[in-house]
This record gives sequence, structure tokens and C-alpha cells, in this order.
Amino acid sequence: MNDNALVLKGIRKAFAGHVAVQDLSLQVPRHCVFGLLGPNGAGKTTTLRMVMDILGPDAGTIEILGRPADHAARDRIGYMPEERGLYPRMVLEEQLVFMAAIKGVPRKEAEKRLGPWLERFSLVDWRKRKTNELSKGMQQKAQFIATVLHEPEVLIMDEPTSGLDPVGMDVMRDAMLDLRRGGTTIVLSSHQMDTVERLCDRVALINRGEKILDGAVSEVKARHGKNTVALAFEGDGSFIELLPGVAKVTDFGQYLEVRLRDGHDPQALLNEAAARLRLRRFEIVQPSLHDIFVETVTRHGKEAA
Amino acid sequence: MNAKLWAIVRREYLERVRTRGFLVATILGPVIMSALMTVPMLVARSSGKLLRVAVLDETGTLRARVEEALRSARFGDKPRFEVPPGSEEPLEVRQAELKKAVLDGRLDGYLHLPKDVLTSGVASYYGRNVSNRMDLGLLDRSTGEVLVGLRLADAGLDPAKVKDLTRPLDMTTIRLSAAGEHEDRGIASLIFSITLMMILYTSILMWGQLVMTSVIEEKTSRVIEVMASGVPSTQLLWGKLLGVGAAGLTQFLVWALSLLVLSLVTVGQAAGDFRMPESSPLVLVSFVLFFLLGFFFYAALYASIGAAVNTVQEAQNFVFPIVMPLIIGLMCFTAVLESPDGGLAITLSMLPFLAPLIMFLRIVVLTPPWWQIALSLLLLGFGILAVVWVAARIYRVGILMYGKKPTFPELVRWVRHS
Repeated sequence: MNDNALVLKGIRKAFAGHVAVQDLSLQVPRHCVFGLLGPNGAGKTTTLRMVMDILGPDAGTIEILGRPADHAARDRIGYMPEERGLYPRMVLEEQLVFMAAIKGVPRKEAEKRLGPWLERFSLVDWRKRKTNELSKGMQQKAQFIATVLHEPEVLIMDEPTSGLDPVGMDVMRDAMLDLRRGGTTIVLSSHQMDTVERLCDRVALINRGEKILDGAVSEVKARHGKNTVALAFEGDGSFIELLPGVAKVTDFGQYLEVRLRDGHDPQALLNEAAARLRLRRFEIVQPSLHDIFVETVTRHGKEAA
Repeated sequence: MNAKLWAIVRREYLERVRTRGFLVATILGPVIMSALMTVPMLVARSSGKLLRVAVLDETGTLRARVEEALRSARFGDKPRFEVPPGSEEPLEVRQAELKKAVLDGRLDGYLHLPKDVLTSGVASYYGRNVSNRMDLGLLDRSTGEVLVGLRLADAGLDPAKVKDLTRPLDMTTIRLSAAGEHEDRGIASLIFSITLMMILYTSILMWGQLVMTSVIEEKTSRVIEVMASGVPSTQLLWGKLLGVGAAGLTQFLVWALSLLVLSLVTVGQAAGDFRMPESSPLVLVSFVLFFLLGFFFYAALYASIGAAVNTVQEAQNFVFPIVMPLIIGLMCFTAVLESPDGGLAITLSMLPFLAPLIMFLRIVVLTPPWWQIALSLLLLGFGILAVVWVAARIYRVGILMYGKKPTFPELVRWVRHS
């Protein structure tokens, strides 16, 4: 029994002269929430489209739930593209049943499953209405139902939170977490780090079509977390920036966040600061995914240049 | 049938059939068609108003006879001319008077017989309306008969006897086909075959265009990516073709049934002896078959255009080269009717993009050898598979292309690389 929901091996995709995805390998274990991160144009959408066979990879192989990717395997995936879309003139209920039917769910069965979902997203009163009569927010929810009504084992969502208001975001996040508790593997791409940080167990960061970071969130943070110090004090701390070994200082008002260069011991900073300031707080902290993201991408950009 | 394909066919069918346009066309179609058929007949039968004509005679001997001939001239079984009694005024006065009467509307026209009309055989008709061919033909014939009668009498022959002896041959045409003998109604069956072909032509284009706009709509509403992630593009395409094709057939069925009812109830009474030319089962079957196959062929092309462009306006440039062969086929129809078994007709009916029109026309006017029908269908079938194959590839690439409209070389690249 293979424990991976998705395995990508050395996939590559080039469009007219520019390489969108380069020799990318990924493993998404079952039952986790996996975040595919990267700046705009990094190749996230292209990668997900290759998994869904909307694009064919130029090289490499894709396995879904332990089998080579084919249409039967893809029926076990729910895919919500970044560009949402439903048939505008179809009645909501028929639309959702249809979306499940093209994933191989019989109409009767789909109709039965539909009720609880409509209730959950308070769309019951709208089930007989045409889709284009629904508000944007309602359409987003409808889209989500369309993606999960066939009870996929893997849920792939490209930028799931884009265009959602905070309430909609919470509703969708709760739904995702419920599905996850039920055993669904969730893959989502995003550049909104706070969403990812709250939801994901594992992340992969890609930039310019290459994977530059990969692993469990806690692991990734731990890897980057040994040299960031939060510092609160009384007095003039402007000298800290000039100390040897200090890479970057960010002033958050209540405290400073100090990033040390690799190989420099926070203990040295503590000694120096204690000698010249009255300290209220000195803590070695984990950097946010946001920082890791920005730093890693910037470094990768410089290396590539 | 594959459950996914069935779901798509069902959706496409219901979406077409439930539109207001479909309802209107389906209900109004037969009404308009039967109106087109009955109105001219009713007009022709009823146009009860007689044509008021006078005779201006320079010979001084012919007037009474000609007037009498015109009064007794019959069209069908009804008189056509009303001839007011003439007068013996001097010629110039009379002519001016008649001219004035025509212009005032008291007369429809007058016939001028010059002095030498008996020898030269040349006369003139002056009228406000000189385009009523049927009436003028009758006027010409009736007057001519009087003149011929006089000439015969001068030569010492009995006009009645001559007429009897020179009676022309009355030839009926009987079409022989495998299905049996049919007395051919000539012009009616010609009009019938051309009408059927025109319906075939417009329906193939109309329903094909509908497939194109529906693909463009899927692109605009972005639902196409969801669809493409669930179903292979070939299946997506077939689902569309079958669903929309079924909607087209539904419309034909409604039309056929209501025409049948209408012709039994109203048209039958109005038209009297006019009957629809008998359409053999072969013609009906091949109409359905060639509509579906022709539709598949052209709709697949239309679908690929829809996938390649962003708006209906952009599509127009691409539509023309695709419709072109169909228009050429339409223009060939006289040549095909002339010799439906000739080399040109046989060749054209084998080309997949023309077969739906030309082979169908040949089947209507004569029954081609079965192997020709079979070969034509076979080639058309291969043509459809090839077109769908190409279209599915353009579809797959095109659905993710937004923005710039592709050029033809780019389309070729899409087909080669997807």
C-alpha cells in the first residue's frame, strides 16, 4: 500500500521558449493538508493542471493514489481551478448534480448527497435558481460543493481563498478541515502565507518552476528558526544593527526582530544587549512562513541571476 | 453508454431545448412553412380581380373576334379578362382615350394590333403592370389563336380540324427506382428536393454555429477548465455534438409531425389538388442521417473555432473558410440536378464536406447505386473522425488560451503538439 496521495517525478513543462516547471518532484502523503507555495508565475497552476491532465507534461511521471495517473484515478480527485466557473444559465441543483455526474456519480446518489451541503452553505433556498442569479459569494460556495460532491479522496484547490470575504473564508476553511478529518488529502496552492500557516501540515515552495523548499511545516520552521531573536528593552537599541553577525533588524514597535547570520550564536547578542540595555524580553523565535518564503525566494532569485 | 458522456449529452440537450429561441423556432417553423406553401397557392387561385383590357385595332376587322377570344379565355376554369365594349371612334382619338383610361386606372391595359398584324404577327400590349407573366401569356396565346385561325381559314383549312391534328404530345414522366414507380410531378418534386436541401444546409450551419457559441460561452464563464479536468476533450466534444444534434432532430420531428397534421387539416383544403410529393422512407432516413453526419462534421469544426477564439466577433474570420465548401456545394446543385449520375455529381457526393448536401440531393432525385451511398457514408464517417480528432486537439489547447486570437499557423502547431 502506497501512502502517498500524489507523487510527481521529474515533471517538466515548457511553453514557447519559457520553462514553466523544471524537473519538479513532489510527494504528497495521504491525509495531510499540503500547501504548494510560490510567488506569481512560479509554476503552481501549471503543476496542478498537469496533475489534472489539462496540460500534458513534457517529461516526468505522475502517480495518483499509488497508480499511474489516468482518468479513473482523476475521478477520485476534486479540482477547483483558480479561474472558477459554472454554467451561468443552469439551475443550481442540476448544475451540482451534473458536476458530480461527470466524475462518475449516479444522479440519484448525487441528489441525495446534495442536501446536507446546501444546508451547510445556506443555499437551500437557491437550489432551483439559475447560477447567474447567485451572488459572487454564493457562487464560490456552489463551486466548492461542485468540487467535493463526488467525495474525492484528494482535493486540489488552486488559490482557494482568492476572492473570498472573511466569512466565506472561514466557512470554506471549516469545510476543508472537516473533509480532512474524514480522511481527505488536501492540496492547495497559495501565496497567502497566513492561510497556509493555519491550515497546512506540509509545504513545498517553488520558484521559477523549481522546488526550493519542501517538508513538514514544523520542520521547515525549525530549520529556519535558530537564528531569529525577538528583543524588547528600554534604552537606545540603534547599535544592534551594527553588531557583527546581525543580518537584519525589523522594528515591530513593541519589539525588534533580529535575524542573525548563519553561524552566529544568539548568546553573543544576548551578552552584548544585556551589557548596554535594560532587557524585558529575549526570545529565540520561529520565523513566520511569510519570512521564510520571502527570504528563500529572494536568495533563490539571486543565485539564479 | 459511458455515464460521463451521457451526462454531457443530457445537459447539452436540455440546455438547447429549454431556450426560448428553440421553442419559438420549433412552434413558428411549421406555421411559417405552411404559410409559405399555402399563401402563393391561395393567391394564385383567388386573385379574383379580372384584368380589364381593351383592344385597339388598326385592321378594322379583328377587334370583335379578339375581344370575344379574350372574354372566353380561361385560366384553370376561371375567366381572366374583362373586356369593355369597344367603340368605333377614329384611331388617334381612341388611342389617346385608352392611354388616359389606363393611366387613370379605369383599364389595366390595352392590346394594340397594327395594320399588318396578320402577316407580320407583331402586336403590342400597353399596361401599367407588364410583369404579370401568366396573364400576359394567356393574352398572347388567346390572340395568337385568333390570328392563326384566320390565316388557316384564308388558306382554306378548317381551324378546328387543324387544331385537332396538331395536338401536341402529352408526356407524363415516371420515375423508376428500387422502391417502385412514381408518377413524377416534375416541378413540384424539383422544388421539394431543393427545399429539403436548403433546410439541410441551413440547419447544419445553424446548429453548428450554436455549438461554437456554446464553446465560447464555456470559455467566457471559465467552466471549461472544470470540465476539462473531469472529462477527456474528445468525450467533451462528442457529448456536445450528440446533445445538440439530438436537439436538432427533436425540432425536425416536431416540424414533421405538425406539418403532417397541418397538411391533413388546413393545407389539404386550401391546396385542393396540390399534394406533397410522396417522400419515400429512403429520403426521410437519408435526411436524418445526412443532417446528423453533416452536423457532426461541421459542428466539430465550429467547436474548434470556438475553443480557439475569445468572442463570437473574433470567430467570424475563421468561420468563412469553413462554410466556404458548403456554399460551393450549394452552388453545384443545378449541375448535380442536370445529371445526378454524372461524373461530377458522383465525385462531389463522395467528398465528406459536400456529401451531406450532394449525396442527399442525388438520393432525392434518383436512387444512386447502393455502393455509392455506402462509400459516401463511409468516407463521411472517416471525415468526421478526422475532424473530431483535430478539433479535440485544438480544443484541449485552446480552452486555456485567453487574450490574443491565434493565427492559422498557430492552430496547426496546437494540433501537432497537444
